Amino acid sequence: MRRALNTLASFLRHPAGVIGLVILIGVVVLAIVAPTLFPVDPWDMVAAPFQPPFDGETWLGSDMLGRDVAACIAYGARVSLLIGVSSTLAALVIGVTVGAVAGYFGGRVDEVLMRFVELFQTIPGFILAILLVATLGPSLTNVILAIGAVSWPQLARLTRAEFLRLRSREFVQAAVCQGQPPLSVVLRHILPNAVSPIIVTGSLMIASSILIESALSFMGLGDPNLMSWGFMIGASRSVMRQAWWMSVFPGIAIFLTVLAINLVGEGLNDTLNPRLSRKARGA
Amino acid sequence: MTDEPLLSIENLSVALPKGGDRQFAVENVSLAVRRNEIVCLVGESGSGKSITAHAVLRLLPPGLDVAAGAIRFKDTDLARADEGTMRALRGGPISMIFQEPLSALNPLTRVGQQIAEAIITHAGAKLSGSEVDARVIELIAAVGLPDPPALARSYPFQLSGGQRQRIMIAIAMANEPALLLADEPTTALDVTTQKQILALVRRLQAERGMGVLFITHDFGVVADIADRVVVMRNGCVVEQGAVDEVLRAPKNDYTKALIAAVPGGRPASMRGHALGTDPLLVARGLNKVFTSRQGVFRPVRRVPAVQDVALTLRPRETVAVVGESGSGKSTLARMIMRLIEPDTGAIDFDGVDFLKLKGVQLRAMRRKVQIVFQDPFAALDPRQKVGEAIARGPMTYGTPPVDAIAEAKRLLARVGLKESAYERYPHEFSGGQRQRICIARAIALKPLVLVADEAVSALDVSVQQHILELLAELREEMSLAMLFITHDLRVASEIADRIVVMRRGEIVEQGETQSVFGAPQHAYTRELLEAIPGRSLFGRPHEPSANLRFA
Repeated sequence: MRRALNTLASFLRHPAGVIGLVILIGVVVLAIVAPTLFPVDPWDMVAAPFQPPFDGETWLGSDMLGRDVAACIAYGARVSLLIGVSSTLAALVIGVTVGAVAGYFGGRVDEVLMRFVELFQTIPGFILAILLVATLGPSLTNVILAIGAVSWPQLARLTRAEFLRLRSREFVQAAVCQGQPPLSVVLRHILPNAVSPIIVTGSLMIASSILIESALSFMGLGDPNLMSWGFMIGASRSVMRQAWWMSVFPGIAIFLTVLAINLVGEGLNDTLNPRLSRKARGA
Repeated sequence: MTDEPLLSIENLSVALPKGGDRQFAVENVSLAVRRNEIVCLVGESGSGKSITAHAVLRLLPPGLDVAAGAIRFKDTDLARADEGTMRALRGGPISMIFQEPLSALNPLTRVGQQIAEAIITHAGAKLSGSEVDARVIELIAAVGLPDPPALARSYPFQLSGGQRQRIMIAIAMANEPALLLADEPTTALDVTTQKQILALVRRLQAERGMGVLFITHDFGVVADIADRVVVMRNGCVVEQGAVDEVLRAPKNDYTKALIAAVPGGRPASMRGHALGTDPLLVARGLNKVFTSRQGVFRPVRRVPAVQDVALTLRPRETVAVVGESGSGKSTLARMIMRLIEPDTGAIDFDGVDFLKLKGVQLRAMRRKVQIVFQDPFAALDPRQKVGEAIARGPMTYGTPPVDAIAEAKRLLARVGLKESAYERYPHEFSGGQRQRICIARAIALKPLVLVADEAVSALDVSVQQHILELLAELREEMSLAMLFITHDLRVASEIADRIVVMRRGEIVEQGETQSVFGAPQHAYTRELLEAIPGRSLFGRPHEPSANLRFA
């Protein structure tokens, strides 16, 4: 508990991380209060089409069907965050398991698993994601699965490297000599010491997942029942010159969210891996 | 010797950043090095000996600054000289050699070029290319390396530790320095290599009339090389004087304690304890070859680490396995722990073939053989409370948590720590304390055999003494058989009943401690014994007549 508080305290000394955290909290709050702020379904027409922003009826203007851009962004935040977090979780589960098994057992097991990882790494990630969604059908679960499937190899490699490094460490060998079964050695000694870089990579992965999701939706491969930032930009691309607000505001939303997550991730990196941090922190 | 000091450090204080455990890293230190003499700066870790030497070249780590005092070299005050003056001095009139020659050499440049660089930096354009080359060859020959032209073309990784250190010395000698600073230059080397390097430093110093400031923690090395000694503790000089005076008749209590703590000088206190007769552990025909594949189409590299080794351990017996780095002694220990699987061989342990056990049976047997590692900083999980590290073992074997925790607290008290240490994390303890925790963790499982893999090598000499005493006590209390892996024959002589000497993966000699030290049969054993530093002063282990005694 004290350790957690210490970590928080040193994170708060990191100005960029705090800025990122503030923006991120803003986005999360927006996602939570979306139904209160905009009680009407974002797909409903609430105003005249092509209303410019800051102009009476709507805050950020309306699109070609008279939908409220601000409402769409608020509801889009829910989708982006949901997909970002859950696809990263999916990638974490697969990546950490594969990496841990490969790193801990080594030898033949490691070789087979790593060849499998390389198979995924040789296919361009985004094309694989498109392929998966196009084949399985554009639903929320499939989008999450597709993004998870293209993100996990990176985590698997990282976890494996950490496990290889830690497995030969003497405190791990001491635990083996104490008679602890393999699972206990992994969960009690190796994983806790490997977890910081995994958390950092995972947090940055949320940002890239949001970008992949936006790109999928932009191409019309998102879940058709969910309002998403990528979809909004995709839908507005034919009227970009007449209605700039339709693409600019969701663009800013994506930009700010991804930036915030990256800042938080870097802050976490400096807090959790002080020795790897680019800035020397005091003597 | 002239009386005019070459280097004189006067009342030097180096301030530590605020919030450190003391105000000064080095406080009010005064010492002098004259032409043509070797001054040894001795002390334990944290005594400020390295900081003092680094201050001479103004190579202090960031955050540390000279707070007061002067460092006079010839007519310059180095504490106040500008950076340009310092640059001209470094590697020129004053040069330095470091502990770890591998990290001090550029891995991607041929060693000849690195020596040439040192010459060119200071001589500039005055020398032609061929003159520089000739000088490089001359220097490599001067430090006693064979075939200088071929050696100049090799890369650091192609050389052994001793050869690298010779290259470092050649670089330091490149510009005929008046003063050589040597920061623990032999600590990372094997004992036989250490002896050669010490002889080399002595020879070069005598030939060139250099002043040498030699930093070491080992009084044996001091006895071998020093003209004068300066003893430091907690940043202060506690005693200085001629080597014979300080070593034979120390005045300061701390110096006395340090000299008394030098291993090998004390009679083995627990000798003559009752050994069991039936062997407890018998290893036969152990072989291990490490193979590494360097690519699909390249041949597999095979490094035989242990070859046909047989070893017997009786109940309550302590066997020391000694040898230099690469002799396979650690591999042997890890095979007995089943941390490394041998290629062939058998280990009969407590009535079963230990090597044939698998899974649950293996885990059940593991508690009977426990290990203490060399580096107490790496051997404890940084994220686990130390008490839990101790209690976890018995809990794995079904001891109820309440009992295991109570036992862990008792063990912490037994090894000399407070019971409240249970709730603390490893980083709150010093190296010696951590090693005590590691010992408590190992004995918590009530093993029959304790393997100590260089368990005292990383510790200061005074701490080393206490840990050895603790191990000897525990051995009697718990009827432990011990396999003691060490490179230090002095340590082996203090604790072992029997000595096994290994070289290149093979046992070359084994026997009772007394007879191995008193009448070594194998040439290699004799060579190792010859190389023990400080024999002139401390005598050979098990030659009590020659040992140093204070009245």
